[in-house]
Amino acid sequence: MARTTTWRRAAVASMALGALTLSACGGGDGGDGEASGEGGTITAYNCEPQNPLVPANTTEVCGSWVLEHVFTGLVQADTETYEPIPGVAESWDTEDNVTWTFELGEGWTFHNGEEVTAQTFVDTFNWAVDPENAQQSANFFDNFLGYQEVVDGDADEMEGVRAVDDHTLEIELTEPFSPLPDMLTYSAFFPMPQEAFEDIEAFSSAPIGNGRYQMDGEWEHDVQIAVERYDDYAGEEPGLPQRLEWHIYSDIDTAYMDVQSGSLDILDSVPPNRLTTLEGDFGENWTSFDTGSFSYLGFPLYQEEFQDVDVRRALSMAIDREEIIDSIFNGAQTEATSIIPEFLPEGRDGVCESCEFNPDEAADLYEEAGGPSELTVYFNSGAGHEDWTEAVANQWRQNLGIEDVTFESMEFAQYLDLHDTEEVTGPFRLGWTISYPNAQYALEPIYTTDQSSNYTGFSDEEFDNLISEANAAVEPDEASELYQQAEDILLEEMPVIPMWFSTYHVAYSDNIVGDSIQMGEGNTLTHLWKIETSES
Amino acid sequence: MTRYIIRRLLQFIPVVIISTLVVYAMVFLMPGDPIRALGGDRPMSEAVQATLREQYNLDDPFLLQYGKYLWGVFTAGDFGTTFQGRPVLDIIEQRLPVTLQLAAVTFVIQGVLGVIAGLLAAIYKDRFIDRLVQVSTVVVVALPTIAIAFLLQLAFGLNLGWFPIAGAGDGLYSFILPGLSMAAVSTCMIARLLRSELLEALQSDYVRTATAKGLTRSRVIGRHGMRNSMIPVVTFMGADLATMMGGTIVVETIFNLPGIGEQVFRSIQGQEGTVVVGIVTLMVLFFVVINLIVDLLYGLLDPRIRYE
Repeated sequence: MARTTTWRRAAVASMALGALTLSACGGGDGGDGEASGEGGTITAYNCEPQNPLVPANTTEVCGSWVLEHVFTGLVQADTETYEPIPGVAESWDTEDNVTWTFELGEGWTFHNGEEVTAQTFVDTFNWAVDPENAQQSANFFDNFLGYQEVVDGDADEMEGVRAVDDHTLEIELTEPFSPLPDMLTYSAFFPMPQEAFEDIEAFSSAPIGNGRYQMDGEWEHDVQIAVERYDDYAGEEPGLPQRLEWHIYSDIDTAYMDVQSGSLDILDSVPPNRLTTLEGDFGENWTSFDTGSFSYLGFPLYQEEFQDVDVRRALSMAIDREEIIDSIFNGAQTEATSIIPEFLPEGRDGVCESCEFNPDEAADLYEEAGGPSELTVYFNSGAGHEDWTEAVANQWRQNLGIEDVTFESMEFAQYLDLHDTEEVTGPFRLGWTISYPNAQYALEPIYTTDQSSNYTGFSDEEFDNLISEANAAVEPDEASELYQQAEDILLEEMPVIPMWFSTYHVAYSDNIVGDSIQMGEGNTLTHLWKIETSES
Repeated sequence: MTRYIIRRLLQFIPVVIISTLVVYAMVFLMPGDPIRALGGDRPMSEAVQATLREQYNLDDPFLLQYGKYLWGVFTAGDFGTTFQGRPVLDIIEQRLPVTLQLAAVTFVIQGVLGVIAGLLAAIYKDRFIDRLVQVSTVVVVALPTIAIAFLLQLAFGLNLGWFPIAGAGDGLYSFILPGLSMAAVSTCMIARLLRSELLEALQSDYVRTATAKGLTRSRVIGRHGMRNSMIPVVTFMGADLATMMGGTIVVETIFNLPGIGEQVFRSIQGQEGTVVVGIVTLMVLFFVVINLIVDLLYGLLDPRIRYE
């Protein structure tokens, strides 16, 4: 989504003067009062989904936004506390975090009338992990008992997913995993009807779900995706607007202007170059959310010069994050002072001491530790990382006396290759977005030994043990505390420099009641927006 | 004439084969594993990656991959699918009309405006209208297309609200601002080109003869002056139409028109060889056909030009 290219930005800069004088759109302070209209149509910005609209194949925001409205999983996430609340499952229970029993609610049907039963989930999950179907999220099931056998072709079905009766689903894992309910909120676990397995191609352009909204026609590629409220929705909180239309844009700036002109209702990701004029353009009609989208600079710990923790800490302390966020992102990020996103129940503010800007201490530390005098910084090109990596490099030159900083940038595919072959020789930028709201997902995949997303090569026995203990902890509070202890180890060892969490700025038209806009678990807005009824 | 056309058409075959081979090779040679990159920061499981690689013949050596691709094209009309499983033909079928409409609107705008401006400037040489054309064309030519597009969008789309800012939902109406942006530079080129050609022609002997015969001024300019002056203009417009596909990348993106240009850009980034090759083949065909038409038009404008 962050494909704001430089030429576009240059154009915007050169046109800024014109924009200032021309912008005439006032803010809507036409009191929201009791106008809490239901029904009506909301049009929202979206980007073109990268993948077919199949739950287990959609890994990015554009597609997820649609799926989260068309489907409801076993469990949902509360949009305020980010704790698991009932979805199709009314309740769940486990004694050991290994075997879980889910009691399904009555009356759940797909939009084609098919009933949603325990067997539905068994079929869906087995289909999703079958390598023949090449679903991108298949490995989210890798701790389900029998996953490996299905992947290896030794079995057709996972042993660990069982329908006890129509309304009782049992899931057995290979090892204890306390965040399971949170994980099940992720779109990869949404149920699919029989029709999907018969003709997945037809399904993928007009998915039949069990959610608050049903597709109205097919996904019109690059044009729009439209859904209508599903009146037989069995869950609580049905959708408020009668109809949602996602208009697909290739350029966010264009969408921004469309909201300004009133032909689009919601833009959920105002580009950084527009933030300075956001208030002038929209008055009260904008809001912002913190997300779990984490940016970091990782160290190739397999290289000798980064093995000393003091070098890593000094490099972190020499960065003035606030200045970079203000000058380059116009404030569109929130300084990272932790690794677990702050809005999660386990999130803590200000726990990363080495994230505080302290140039003097950094310089001393760096000199004592004998940090390298030349650095190469790695980033993937064309995704808007040029400016901020250069700013970081400048601060390192200035604050640590590093003589020479060079940059290596390349296309993402090549970039990943370089990581896989461990040929990175200096700090590298990467990001991580939590797919479900649990601290486990902010920690385990990136920092535990030999995980596929562990690009630094970090390996710490104590950390690994804490994660396992937390996953096994039956009491939620106990798990939270253990995850926090694991985070403390990372903050001590600094395998990565935490940079910031993305902030989403949402601009909306006078049609929308502002405080009804809420961010859901997948960094996308939820279904609860209200429409302002016209007063005149 | 017919033999000339057939010979030209036969030349298409090697042109298409060579250009697709080159494009395919270039995409193939891009470093990095596109399937690995699909998953982003969170890798897909090995099993899923292996299935996808097999589906897209990515483990085969280059020539075999290309061979399989061509085989599919010729035996089944199968132009391949994207990594997301969407047939390339579907994409072209959906996006081509958008780009063609944009190209048509652009072509008409630059043809009409450019010729009128050039004609007026030549007729009223050194008068106010001539100066106006001369100065304004210099200014517009100096502006990058993206700046023109953005200005038009801001002024006539957002502030005056006369035209839609984005999308192709309002029919031909949606293409006026994008068409103007694309046409702006070429319109000026045509105006300047025609002006100088026409001025030169009006000085020539055959025009003087025609005037001496007592023909009206409009007939002299229309039948004798314009006819010769249009040859370079037609050549220019032909070449411009053929290369217009490139310009669509910028304009389609700004005005959110789901056309071919924007797709090429996106597919190159995703290393989607089959999509790029499919679209580029189409562009190559388009280019050679336009060239052929331009060459044939010469004959109509100037009977002295013969084909064999």
